[in-house]
Amino acid sequence: MKKSRKETTFKARLSSFLMCAPITIWSVLFILLPVAMLVVMSFMTKGPLGRVVYSFTLENYTEILKPVYAEVVKQSLVIAVWTTALTVLLGYPLAAFIANVKKKTSGVLTVLLMLPLWVSGLVILYSFVVLLNTSGTINTILMNLHLIKEPLELLYNNFAVVVGMIYMFLPFAVLPMYSSIEKLDKGLIEASKDLGAGPVVTFFKVTLPLTSPGIFAAVILTFIPCIGYYMVTDMLGGGTSMMVGNLIYRQFTIARNWPFGAALSVILAVIILLMVLIYTKLGGDLDDLGA
Amino acid sequence: MKVKWMKKMVALMAVGTMVLTLFAGCGSKEAKQEENPDSLNIMVWEGTWSEEIFKDFTKETGIEVNISYIDNTDTLLSKLVEGSAEYDLIDLEGAYVQSFVDGELLAKIDKSSLKNLSNIKDEYLEKGPIGDEEGAYTVTNMGPGYTSVVYNKETCPVEIHSLKDLADPALKGQIAMVNSTISLYGAALVACGYEANSTDEAEMKEANDLLKEIKKNVKAFVGETAVSVLENGECSVALCWDYMTLCNDNKENWDKFEMVELEDGCEQFIQYWAIPSSSTKQAAATQLIDFLLRPEEASKSYVEYGGNPNLKEDVLADYVPQDYYENPSFAKYDAVYDKSWNVAVDDEQISLMDTYYTELMGN
Repeated sequence: MKKSRKETTFKARLSSFLMCAPITIWSVLFILLPVAMLVVMSFMTKGPLGRVVYSFTLENYTEILKPVYAEVVKQSLVIAVWTTALTVLLGYPLAAFIANVKKKTSGVLTVLLMLPLWVSGLVILYSFVVLLNTSGTINTILMNLHLIKEPLELLYNNFAVVVGMIYMFLPFAVLPMYSSIEKLDKGLIEASKDLGAGPVVTFFKVTLPLTSPGIFAAVILTFIPCIGYYMVTDMLGGGTSMMVGNLIYRQFTIARNWPFGAALSVILAVIILLMVLIYTKLGGDLDDLGA
Repeated sequence: MKVKWMKKMVALMAVGTMVLTLFAGCGSKEAKQEENPDSLNIMVWEGTWSEEIFKDFTKETGIEVNISYIDNTDTLLSKLVEGSAEYDLIDLEGAYVQSFVDGELLAKIDKSSLKNLSNIKDEYLEKGPIGDEEGAYTVTNMGPGYTSVVYNKETCPVEIHSLKDLADPALKGQIAMVNSTISLYGAALVACGYEANSTDEAEMKEANDLLKEIKKNVKAFVGETAVSVLENGECSVALCWDYMTLCNDNKENWDKFEMVELEDGCEQFIQYWAIPSSSTKQAAATQLIDFLLRPEEASKSYVEYGGNPNLKEDVLADYVPQDYYENPSFAKYDAVYDKSWNVAVDDEQISLMDTYYTELMGN
């Protein structure tokens, strides 16, 4: 029997609908709805015991402008900027090296680079505590080799924070830069050399501009998690400073102020979205950010 | 045309799912009691309770005990307020009892079912925590602990009598402190001569100024324990709640470390068993509390982890090692008992403390 055109169209629509349904429901339940709830909550009033009172207010956003919170944001930005700059500076030569070795070696190096991502961040940080503390592995070795008389102060300071941050975020920085460098047309470098440019000029005039999307992606992928990531400053820095991440966490727990915590989260999300927007406007590829 | 239709359908599904989810949270939340439950969900602090006890309880009653561990009491409070977790028994900090009672989050405990209640030391039965002075909602599950200054007798360069002494520049880079807002500000308020529960802005500011001075000497704020930073020599002084743990950890620490009997008094903290009002298994939870008060069971935790027992010494005598009470922290805890203070913060105070804490850490 010949099927009518209407029936065929309906079946095609139904099958498309059924195929879309799981991902749509998933996205709504676990992405759209929580974000919408967070935004709505950020305009609500704080109730007793951390309850949310559904009465509209802008107070949570005006509160953020208070100097006490601005100082925390400034502190987070300073740590994030330093970490990002150092991670990208260290990561670029590493990415270039991986991109320029044989395929097999570069595969092994990439896996080695990814290894820290397979281990819990908490375990990594505890390992650093064991390595860096006064009676830790590094001090013990140096003392036994009679290279130092007194243990070095390696833990609970900015040095430990920077080392820990770089270790945690190096893979995020190297991978997009590696991808950019690998895609680079080597013929352009040859052409630059043929036209008389030395290695330094070739790097700054050809290599760097052409790999800049990778660098910017590395900056975003390092900077964004850095602002909110407070475990390193807590565990290796001694917790003597506060990051935006701490501040948000405290609002949802100790301070019992969910609406203010939501407002801080919304602001952080807006900053991140703006950075991604600038990145795409400058020609960046969202694929390099893992989108 | 087809794309338009698809977009409409996806949007419809999205809206439908959101509406259904919003309504999913509605409905009556009466804790209808189960008569013969086959399991109990409990929430306790890790490293405090021997799992053997809960296995014994299952063996005797057939009721499985599912154990979850507390991350911090604020998270537990959030979960119970939001109704996102179902627990039948919780191990609650004394400082939070008032908040839990005020929020109607706890059920009254049927004390007539607790045959082993008399095993608890009389002084702990006489006075309940702030917010439950009559002990209607709580049963102590441990003896008190204290937040105080602990120092290394060999390396600490100054004599310490008060929290204010920690501001001495000679201690620069040698101090570890707990990062608990309540303990820090409670201790600072008391050291400045005020009530630990103060909500007076001027008093809180003075306490904050003291903490700012002390912070100049602080090497690390620790979340849970200061034992490792004291033992590995990273710090010579700590404001912490670990003196008993330090003494349990290693007998060498008995001579090496000392707890200061602060002239302003030390913060006393006691843990309590409490049954959430949302529990549908309150009778079985009460049965478990009673089981945990048996000396032969309670002693298993003391033998495994140490700790200050809430049970009478003579009741426990046959079940703990003979030298159990030789640990110097017992004598020290007895010495500070009368001069200690308790704290129970409300929303107003915690909010004020948190603002000052943010300022303290932002500098």
